[in-house]
Amino acid sequence: MNLEERIITTLKNNMERLQEINIESKLKEDLALDSFDILMVISALEDEFSITINEEDFSEVVTVGDIVDRMRAVNKKDKDKR
Amino acid sequence: MGFESFYKRFDVDERVANVAGFNPYYMEIDSGLNEKIWMNGRQIINLASNNYLGLATDERVKEAIISAVEKYGASLCGTPISTGYVDLYKRLEYSLSNFVRLEDTIILPSCYQGNNGLFVSIAKKEDLIIVDRFAHSSLIQGIKAVGCKIRPFLHNNLEHLEGILKRSQDYKQIFVVTESVFSTDGDISPFKEIIDLCEKYNALPIIDDSHGIGVLGNTGKGILEEENIINFKGIYTASLGKALANSGGMISGKKEIINYLKYYCPHLVYSTSLTPSILAGIEAVLKIVSSEFESLKNKLYSNKQILFASLMEAGFETTECIAPINSIKTQSKENTFKTAKSFFEKGILSTPFIEPSVPVNQGCIRLIAGANLTQSTIEEACEIIKSVRKT
Ligand SMILES: Cc1ncc(COP(=O)(O)O)c(C=O)c1O
Repeated sequence: MNLEERIITTLKNNMERLQEINIESKLKEDLALDSFDILMVISALEDEFSITINEEDFSEVVTVGDIVDRMRAVNKKDKDKR
Repeated sequence: MGFESFYKRFDVDERVANVAGFNPYYMEIDSGLNEKIWMNGRQIINLASNNYLGLATDERVKEAIISAVEKYGASLCGTPISTGYVDLYKRLEYSLSNFVRLEDTIILPSCYQGNNGLFVSIAKKEDLIIVDRFAHSSLIQGIKAVGCKIRPFLHNNLEHLEGILKRSQDYKQIFVVTESVFSTDGDISPFKEIIDLCEKYNALPIIDDSHGIGVLGNTGKGILEEENIINFKGIYTASLGKALANSGGMISGKKEIINYLKYYCPHLVYSTSLTPSILAGIEAVLKIVSSEFESLKNKLYSNKQILFASLMEAGFETTECIAPINSIKTQSKENTFKTAKSFFEKGILSTPFIEPSVPVNQGCIRLIAGANLTQSTIEEACEIIKSVRKT
């Protein structure tokens, strides 16, 4: 699974209702996630990628694509460290 | 510099109410919760309050309250740790503990306050609180006040909960928080299984039984009786303003923790005790429940069933409720308000829920037909339900 698919699968596993998700989906407008859902998503991403996410870093996330960008940056940082 | 920009923050968005031509909130009621209530010079069937057993206007309860006023006056003007601790208060702690079959209890001015005070008193920053995603605002606010890691789990989803527990073993203490009856949909949590998971992963279960106390179980003792949970080691909270028809909140559990809260829960220690009249009212309700629960429950569930049948006949979509609640799915805010408006105009007061009380576009209308509603009123309500659908 590539990064995008991993993120979309994580989102799907943490939503009350099955719905279509793609890279352009907006968390609030399209997926109807509220702040509590986003908290759930953040923790699930932490599990999936074995990282710690600062909730504030997430405050500007609008679309699934924004999550992908952030996760890519985290991955890169990790690699750079190694 | 004026305050104008500051006060601008407090604009209330009334667009939905304007579109529907109806604001269902803060509507004035000019009577007690009798068979029908008076609003705006009209009599309306009340399917909105949480007066499940219909005891809020029971003559015996009123008499107990009046006697308490005569004996103690209006208030003890003190917090429970000082002059608020009347004999009535102590007796009620004991009766409530007995009622829910737990060791000890504290009584607070409301369950909202209790849920707000509980978590800051017992949890620390390095703990983890796992909470059902649909938990009540009072629990969420209480949990957020701790400042620890919070992980919501999918509503009533044991698999999701277990996944989180499995991956969260690095915390000092883990709490799992849920409700018995989720009152917007009327579904009931699998609490026995949640306790099993808590035992497996060393977490402490906390349950808010506000809509279960006086409703669930063979004798009305709530979720613990309903699910046959004995020797509950977690913490139990409930509102005394729903089936118990008064007001206040209780927190019950093991002696050690309740005794600690008696001294260290600021929401208890620094807040004026419930008035003697309310304490007496609750005591009177407990007495009635202990002798009449079976018939009250039969009436409550039969009222629910009759309404449910008419909702089905009228073609409404409802959630599957085990609790004595009917919840109509109305989706959008606008449709929720419009439907509530039609009910109101034809003579039924209902409770509409829109976001943030429920997820976005999952609005619903809740109908609770208390045990005090007579056959003829229920029949009238059914006719209204059918006519609302047609409009
Ligand atoms: C689940 C739940 N918990 C707590 C409360 C608050 O109870 P109280 O009205 O006693 O503050 C309510 C009431 O709305 C509730 O539904």
